[in-house]
Parts: sequence; structure tokens; C-alpha cells
Amino acid sequence: MTPASAVRPRPVAPATRPWWRDAAGSAAVGSIVVVAALWLAHRGLQDLTSAAPGSRLTSLGRLTGLVAADLLLVQVLLMARIPWVERSYGQDTLARRHRLVGFASFVLMVAHVGLITAGYAAADRSGPAAEAWDFVAHYPGMLLALAGTALLVMVVVTSVRAARRRLRYESWHLLHLYAYLGVGLALPHQVWTGTEFVSSPLARAYWWTLYAAALASVVAFRIGLPVALNLRHRIRVRKVVREGPGVVSVHLSGHALERLPVRAGQYFVFRFLDGPGWSRGNPYSLSAAPRRDGLRITVKDLGDGSARLARLKPGTRVLIEGPYGRLTGEARRGRGVTLVASGIGITPLRALLEEFDEPPGTVTLIYRGSTPDEFIFRDELDRLAAARGVRVFYAPGRRARSRRSWLPEEAARLSDVEALRRLVPGIAAQDVFVCGPQPWMDAVRTAAAGAGVPAERIHLERFDW
Amino acid sequence: MRRITAWLLGTVSGVVLLVSYHTSTMGSALPPAPTTAAGEVSPPATAATAPLAGAARSAIAAPAPATPATPATPATSAVPSGDAVVNGAAVSTRWGIVQVQIHVQNGQIVDVVPLAVPDSNGHDFRVNSYAVPVLHDEVLAAQSANIDTVSGATVTSNGYIRSLQSALDAAHLSRS
Repeated sequence: MTPASAVRPRPVAPATRPWWRDAAGSAAVGSIVVVAALWLAHRGLQDLTSAAPGSRLTSLGRLTGLVAADLLLVQVLLMARIPWVERSYGQDTLARRHRLVGFASFVLMVAHVGLITAGYAAADRSGPAAEAWDFVAHYPGMLLALAGTALLVMVVVTSVRAARRRLRYESWHLLHLYAYLGVGLALPHQVWTGTEFVSSPLARAYWWTLYAAALASVVAFRIGLPVALNLRHRIRVRKVVREGPGVVSVHLSGHALERLPVRAGQYFVFRFLDGPGWSRGNPYSLSAAPRRDGLRITVKDLGDGSARLARLKPGTRVLIEGPYGRLTGEARRGRGVTLVASGIGITPLRALLEEFDEPPGTVTLIYRGSTPDEFIFRDELDRLAAARGVRVFYAPGRRARSRRSWLPEEAARLSDVEALRRLVPGIAAQDVFVCGPQPWMDAVRTAAAGAGVPAERIHLERFDW
Repeated sequence: MRRITAWLLGTVSGVVLLVSYHTSTMGSALPPAPTTAAGEVSPPATAATAPLAGAARSAIAAPAPATPATPATPATSAVPSGDAVVNGAAVSTRWGIVQVQIHVQNGQIVDVVPLAVPDSNGHDFRVNSYAVPVLHDEVLAAQSANIDTVSGATVTSNGYIRSLQSALDAAHLSRS
């Protein structure tokens, strides 16, 4: 057992303020309102109803261009890993929204190109091809904009699910980074030919500031912050321990870990400097509460580089990025806790178990696994059960076949909700933390809701974004 | 070479080539223009002074009064020792106001700056981007307003020349 002094006394991470989420969402919506206002202020609506040839098309083209460009900046900010934004929404929600906003801005951008070309062609009584050539050859910044558009099209095409499946992750990620270049190349034509910007220094100043802020965020939080974190903490592999078939725990050591702002339940993106392929980062949750003398992660061999971890040598340098994750004790609102884990999903919940200091009998762990061999940490869980009165239920067995259920086949005669109620009679007043494969987690969530747990007390975190 | 190096090299080369093209660093083709202009929505042009004519312009510019602006009196800002910066009259043309500013040193025109050129729609960008530099160079070579109009930009050229002439008159440089 580790001495008590090695366990950190309390979480170091500052609390997440509830108004951050509102502020971030309002800022995003507000930016769209600003560009719409710019459009209106420069006769956008009048041109929409004007009879002059091409006027309607051009006006609509300007609006779609403005909103598309604004959404692209929102995209950049969504993925900039700004700590306040990440703590308010969670990386999984942000990744989902990034996808949505990305496709929306792409559609608007394509509309913008088509509408402007058609509008100018109508005004000049020429064909769209001639007009497009005219743009690119003569108008300020348009060649750059064409290159930017091509890059963004490439990024979107390679991000469609069908394309992603065919690409190696590293290749896909490299191609995706060109989105930054695409967004930057589009800026000159916006301020040099965009009606709303050419005649208004204030609008131009605002636009440049927005771009600068997006760039600064990326540099500060995607590069600067991780670099600083790694320079300060200098994480290394201490030892690698086999926990079960295909599952290893990596114990990590570092400096000044008491100042690492991580809580039980959170994860980092890890890069192990063990040779080629090191640059691909993988998210792994801490599988034990963070200690002053070290951290632990536990990883199952899923083929995406996780098998390499079993061969890590002690002393290997580790780069971390984070901490990320909202599956922490901070989210708690109820009395008592139920933790429901499946397979390797036990890792963040095992860490959380150490943190909860609740009366005996008020914390329950339900642990699903395909076979009894799959259960890891059995001795640690038994110790926690004995020392703190944690109720632990192991539920081995293959998935129930007859319906979508969180239960094993052996217990499928019970309904999902009934089984949950029987295991934890007072669950409706508790917080429920769930971790495992996504479809199974959805089934647990449905069951918990059916058992009377309100949505804000059911806590999940997706890892397959 | 390694693939990542090839990617980086390709990207940097591409960006350098893109930026080298002249439209990538031209800024907006015009300086911030004082919006004294009437961006008239004209009927389909009859006089075929320019191939560009023949299209009714969409009213993208700021709202303008219907009456053309009267030419403003040229302003002179005195600069020490025989140097002068003189604004020409704001000349109203079919496509908008044209006004130039001349910079004079020791009796020589050293620069002509367009203060106002038609900017009511993207068409004008194209005209300005090729016509204005040509006119500028011609003026410096001729050291007078006795220059040819630029084909395809006759209206703008005429406005340019008239505004230039008024500036020269104000600077007492006109040679008739």
C-alpha cells in the first residue's frame, strides 16, 4: 500500500464555472449575429430585393460567405483545446460539434462561391466560367482564396466517414491540418474584396482581430500549454504491469505532480517516445487517483498502437496533453454514487472510486465483462469494498441477444430497469457514472433514466470520437 | 527524402508561388475612398466606350444621392521648399467619382495617388487594377495630363485626366 502522504490531499484543478458554457455558446452565436449585421448594414437586404441583374445572387453570396467564414473561425476555436471551453463541454461534445459546424460551413462556402460567380456573371452578362476566370486572374486575393477553397474541399472530402476508414490516422490528421492553411488563405480576399470590409475600417479591424485571436488560441493552447506542461512535469515510464489477458498498466513518474491539475476520472492524450509512430497520441484515462509520486493508466490491446505499451521500457519519455474529461466528482449532484463499467471502461471509474469518501453502502460498482477472466483490479476492488464499504457486483457473460440491453445473457430475463433497481434500490437519488462501449452506455443510460435518475445526474464520456 | 519533409516542402513551395502572383499582395485595389460618389445605377450603356459597359451595375455601393456630386475645389497642402501635395477636383463620371492627388517635388510630378475611383462593384476592381497603374506611369513619363486613355477604361481614364488637370492647374504646373 502506498503511504498516505503520497496520495494528493485534494483535487488541484480549479472548479468549472457554470457560466463558461453559456459564455462560449453566446460568443459563437454572437459572432454570427455580427456578420449578419454587417451584411445588413451594407445594403444586404435591399440588394436582395433589387431588380438589378445579379444583385440578389450577389447579396446572398455575400451573406453565405460571411457566415461560412465566421463558422470556419468557430471551427478553429472548437478544436483549439481552450481549457475553459473544454471543461464546459467536454472533448467528445466538442468533436461532435466540430463535425457539424464543419459540414455546415462547407455547404455555405460552396453556396457562396456559386452565388457570387453567378451574380457577377449576371451583372456583366458573361458566362460563369469566364467570370470565375476573371476573379482568379484579376481580383485581389482571389488566387489565394481559390487555393484555400481547394484545401478546405480536400479536408472535408477526407473527413467524410467513408474516406476516414480508408486512411491511416496519421495521413488523415496531416491532411486535416491543411484546414488551417485553407482558412488563412481565404482571409485576404475577404478584407480586400468583401463589400462589408473594404469600406469599413472598423469591420476590417474586427475581422483581423478575430483571425488573430483564433491563431493565438491555437498557438497558446494546442502548442504552448502542452509544451509548458511537459517541460514542468517530465513524465517517464516507471514500470509496466500486466493486469490480465491483453491488458497492461503503465505506471508513470514525474516532477511536481502535485501541481498537475488533474482529477480522478480525467484522461490525457499520451505520446510515448519509444520510436517511430510516437507522434500519434491516444487518450487514456488514469486508472488510479493521481498521486504525488506517480500516475497510472491501464490500457487494453485494441490494435491501435495500444499493444506497443506492453513493450515500453522503464525510463521512456512520455508527452502528455490535457487533462481532459468531465467524468469527475465535480459533476456530482446527488447522494450516493453508482458506477457502471464494461470492459476497459473500468479505468476512470476505478480512479473515481478512490476519490469518493462516502458512507459505507452508498457507493456501488457494477462491473460487466464478457468472461470472468476479463475483470481486472479484482484485488484492489476487494480492498476498497472492505475498507470503504463499496458494494461491488461482477456481471460476467455475453451480451443479451434478444434485445439491446446492458445486461449479460444470464440476467436477460429481467428488464434493464428492473435489474438496475434490484442492484441499487435507491439509485434514483444517486449520481450514475458510466463508462464502456458507446451502444452499451446508451442502454445503461436508458435504464438509469427509466429507474428515475434525472439526466443531469447520469454521467457518460465517449471515447470513440 | 522522408515523406513528411516532402509534404512540408511542397506546402511551403505552393504558398510561396501563390503569394508571388500579383493579386495576392495588392491590398484592396483602391485606397479607402471618401464616399462622396454617386454610384449610379445606370441603364444599359449605349456608348460603347468600353467592353465593360453594357451591364447594369448592381447597387452594391453605399446608398448614394441621385444627383452627381459637384466637383470640389481642389485643395493644396503646402509642403516646405517647393514640394506640394495637391488634390485634384472630384470629377463625376458615369461610374462614379474620380479624384487624384499629385505629389510634386521641385516642379516635377513624382507621384499620382488615386483618392477616389469607382468602386461600386467588382467590375471596377478589374478596371482599377490595370488602368490606374498604367495611367500613373504615363503621367510620370509625360509630366502633364497629356496622356492617352487606357483602352477598356475610357470613362475612368477621362475622369482621371480631368482631375489630374485640375490638380496641375492648382499647383501651377500645367503646360498648355
